Amino acid sequence: MTEAIVTITDLDSQNPNIIAKAVKIKGQLDESNVDEKAKDIYKVLESVPTGKHVNLLFDFAELDYMNSKSIGYLTDWYSRITTDGGKICIAGPKENIVDILQVVGLTQLVTCYQNFDEAKAYVLS
Amino acid sequence: MDLAKTKNQTNAIGEVKISITLTTNAYFLSGLRDFTMTFVKNMTGFGEQWAYRFQTVVDELASNAMEYGCREGDQIVITLMAHTDKSIEIMIEDPGHGSKKVTAEEMEKIYRNKLDLYGRGQYLGIRGRGLAQIVNAWSDKVTFENIDSGGIRVRVIKSFKENNSQSKI
Repeated sequence: MTEAIVTITDLDSQNPNIIAKAVKIKGQLDESNVDEKAKDIYKVLESVPTGKHVNLLFDFAELDYMNSKSIGYLTDWYSRITTDGGKICIAGPKENIVDILQVVGLTQLVTCYQNFDEAKAYVLS
Repeated sequence: MDLAKTKNQTNAIGEVKISITLTTNAYFLSGLRDFTMTFVKNMTGFGEQWAYRFQTVVDELASNAMEYGCREGDQIVITLMAHTDKSIEIMIEDPGHGSKKVTAEEMEKIYRNKLDLYGRGQYLGIRGRGLAQIVNAWSDKVTFENIDSGGIRVRVIKSFKENNSQSKI
């Protein structure tokens, strides 16, 4: 199996109704691992209490490859999070990752920040 | 090595053709991507951005061939052809043992329908972007052929243009 490490950390939100988390994905997401790794994100979405919403920052600074299915999952997370009033963004993606996100039109939906702190400010606002 | 076999041919006019036979297992896709990257960087005139793009094209086509054209233990054949500073050609063959038999003509229709779907606006589903959005965008021609084994050969051609050698992002 191709290596991909998903690390999820809490971001301090001043708003009690917002749960903000950073999802760092390191390595490569492909057909051999993406279904398994996606479960970690769905667990986060399912754990949000009623009346609150979640803002997710995807830290892609050390993500080297993502296939079309992983883009599909990202699109699904975008739909679920924004439908519930939450926010989603990407921080630090490499050029090849931006390229593939652009070709499927996802950069029109999900904002990409080159700087982690800018992305963090967005999900905490 | 039984799981992956490689054949390499270079003809008199400098065209390079390499075929890899790969056992159906997504575990091998990472190695296939690495190989594609090396091939494009060293055997074609395409630049790094296009090396990443062809890596994705091969990965998506190989994944589809394994998922829809194979059963466990089958093999797919990946062929990369470089016509230096002219074009790159990628061919992926499956044995046609998928749970639902699909001909090249049916595959062409599925592909055209997906192109129409994406042309109508933002698509939010999980599956179905590989061929019609990514492979289509990063190639000049995509064709499907029935092959003697009963499977399908997907052939992708991208012609070299001067700006393809430079990264634009």
